[in-house]
Amino acid sequence: MKKLLKSRNTGLILVLVLLLVVARIVTPGMFSVMSMMNMLQNNAVYALLAVGEMMVILTGGIDISIASQLAFVGITTTTLSTANPDVPGFVWVITALLLGIICGAINGFLVGYLHMVPMICTLGTMYIFRGLAFVVSEGQWWFAAHYLDSYRFWAIGKICGIPMIIIWAVVIMVLLGLFLGYTAPGRRIYAIGTSRESSAVAGVKEAKVTFYAFVICGALAGLAGMLYTANYAIGYYGMGEGFEMTAIAICVLGGVSINGGKGRMDGVAIGMLIMAVVTYFISMIPGMSVWQKALQGSIIIVAVAINYFTERSAEKQALKERGALI
Amino acid sequence: MSDYILELKDVVKTFGGVRALNGVQFQLKKGEIHALMGENGAGKSTFIKVITGVHQPDSGIMMLEGEKVTFRNTADSAKMGIAAIYQHVTSFPDLTVTENIFMGQEIKNKFGIYDWKTMKKRAKELIEPLSKEIDVDKPMGTLSVAAQQLVEIAKALSRDARILIMDEPTASLTRNECLQLYKIAKDLRDKGVSIIFITHRFEDMYELATRVTVFRDSTYVGTWDVDGITNSALVKAMVGRELTAMYPEKTAKIGEVVLEVDDISKEGYFKNVSFNVRRGEILALTGLVGAGRTEVCQNIYGIMTPDSGSIRLEGKEVHIKSPIDALKLGIGLLPENRQTQGLVNELPIYQNVSSATMKQFVKNGQLDTASEMENAINLCKKIQLKANDITAPPSSLSGGNQQKVVVAKMLSSEQKVLIMDEPTKGIDVGAKYSIYEIMNDLACKGYAIIMVSSEMPEVLGVADRIVVMKGGRVTAEFSDVKNTTQEMILEASLKEKGGEK
Repeated sequence: MKKLLKSRNTGLILVLVLLLVVARIVTPGMFSVMSMMNMLQNNAVYALLAVGEMMVILTGGIDISIASQLAFVGITTTTLSTANPDVPGFVWVITALLLGIICGAINGFLVGYLHMVPMICTLGTMYIFRGLAFVVSEGQWWFAAHYLDSYRFWAIGKICGIPMIIIWAVVIMVLLGLFLGYTAPGRRIYAIGTSRESSAVAGVKEAKVTFYAFVICGALAGLAGMLYTANYAIGYYGMGEGFEMTAIAICVLGGVSINGGKGRMDGVAIGMLIMAVVTYFISMIPGMSVWQKALQGSIIIVAVAINYFTERSAEKQALKERGALI
Repeated sequence: MSDYILELKDVVKTFGGVRALNGVQFQLKKGEIHALMGENGAGKSTFIKVITGVHQPDSGIMMLEGEKVTFRNTADSAKMGIAAIYQHVTSFPDLTVTENIFMGQEIKNKFGIYDWKTMKKRAKELIEPLSKEIDVDKPMGTLSVAAQQLVEIAKALSRDARILIMDEPTASLTRNECLQLYKIAKDLRDKGVSIIFITHRFEDMYELATRVTVFRDSTYVGTWDVDGITNSALVKAMVGRELTAMYPEKTAKIGEVVLEVDDISKEGYFKNVSFNVRRGEILALTGLVGAGRTEVCQNIYGIMTPDSGSIRLEGKEVHIKSPIDALKLGIGLLPENRQTQGLVNELPIYQNVSSATMKQFVKNGQLDTASEMENAINLCKKIQLKANDITAPPSSLSGGNQQKVVVAKMLSSEQKVLIMDEPTKGIDVGAKYSIYEIMNDLACKGYAIIMVSSEMPEVLGVADRIVVMKGGRVTAEFSDVKNTTQEMILEASLKEKGGEK
């Protein structure tokens, strides 16, 4: 119980509940199952990106090219699917995953095996993937009329009333949560994020782990690209710009240490929900939507400050306990 | 077959143009503890990295139970039952003890999912014979250095090591932790594990080893039975010349009290600590690691401020709120960790020396490099720094000379009191002597020196007066160093709570 009270996630859940209560009061008309579903549907892409980003941040790296990957893969599957209307939709899901894996593998190879600095390396690939998106699209825009139902189904099709895109996000979060907590490759992501030197001694191959963390990140960014276009039925080479920052913000809010090695999937899930509630309900309050970005930023600052103070108070507590022994 | 479980012959390893190992040989008998000694930079660490497969030798033969082997990486050597505990504990501080033990060789069920339950059980089985106090669910970072080392040993054991290599395991351990480690090493030996024990301390060697091999300047000097070699012969083998004395003659005249610490306390670190230090005196602050010695010094130096009590400098009460205050008043600190706290490796040696007093070299808003260098050269002369090029980074120097750079930096401003936290930690025998000489020399010049040290022979050899701490309190003070023994200090540093001093 004591542990539960001290846990950072408990605090996050309280914040989430508080936000929901406020949302209920200020926007009474909007507060329904329908609107909740809508909110989740609009944020599922962020969830996929954030979970992928989390893998990389846990290794101690960062990937700022994910939004460009989203655009590149989204545009490519859009172009191919509109040109080949007879091909079943699931092919485009697989195509998106494969293209994303290739993007992630490029980043992973450069960072893991060639030891490039993640920030700089992915800055480079950020431009490359964005540029490729332009090349593939030839600057063209796609709108609802272009998209096929078989393609859009994978995002907006419903199973038991729940849009597919939400199911994607939930299933992937659960699977990767288990991966991180209960499998050797998952735990090794934490290991290299905590200490590279120790990993080398323990026989954990840093390059390999870095590589697959980027690959997972890429796969999810690719999938997010396809689902984004399918969800909104829009595609252009500049789409998703700035999403990488939202993904990083969700990770930080969820308690993922930017130094690597620390952070849990449940934290990221709650962080994602808080971000979603804030952006969604703020935009519904008349006159407030202009404040959305500033508010998002403030939340991040508050989250980091809370991290700092909880760590400090834990330290103080430890000192007190030790003091009693002297 | 072969008498030896492990045998290396004519091993050569070069890094760039530098020969780190020049045709060295080594033989390890089954079930023996074999000490490997030599000064820093003698090639010991490179040598064990060759054995564990971290480095591949350029030439030479390695035989395991009479059969030739080559290791491409640590996994290869681990498979053959070779495990190493490295000098700096290599753990994952945020992960639990259990996970630390099994990292790289996780126990999984048939679906590839972690079997936490079995791992925890195994971890407990491995840890318990070593220590009853380690909780396998705790994050590694919350354990003491000694406990972390025990976990590392458990990790090595979990891999069924036949050959265990320990690289200076006692360097950061206290006396009784060392005793515990000796016991564990002997138990392992009795179970048939062969151990290579790298150390700087003669104590370790006498206590444990049956044979000792010495390396010097990347070459093999010789192997002896421990019973058949004298201390001085060993030192000669290691240093290449005879050291007449381990400690220099004390020549400083002790004057009036300079610094007085009166009843200071800091919650969580120490309580009611009082002592003083005189001009020309070397005061040793000793006790076990974690006794609060370093923290007392940090409070004097203004890194922390005490909750209560007072500090007087030359009779006047001073309130030191930051290291800048301390330096202005004339109190300098030589930090324990010279690599991270004392030196900036990206800057040349002379800039390191002047980094604390940069301001005095600024003329018309510009840094006068010439006078900065001149000042550095003078200071380096004063402490007999052996450096070919003071524009090179400090990493180009040996450990002992690096320490001298930190001393030079401390001397660059006018000081009255010098606090030296473990000034000879990780420094080889020859260089230690010259650090002692510098301390002596500084004392002669009228500095009051507080030396924090865990090494009892050093404390007895260098200090004029000894203050012992245990668990955040001062438990004893010895003024008559000549008639003080290691046992007396040890007793004071183990004294149970309630030292009324």
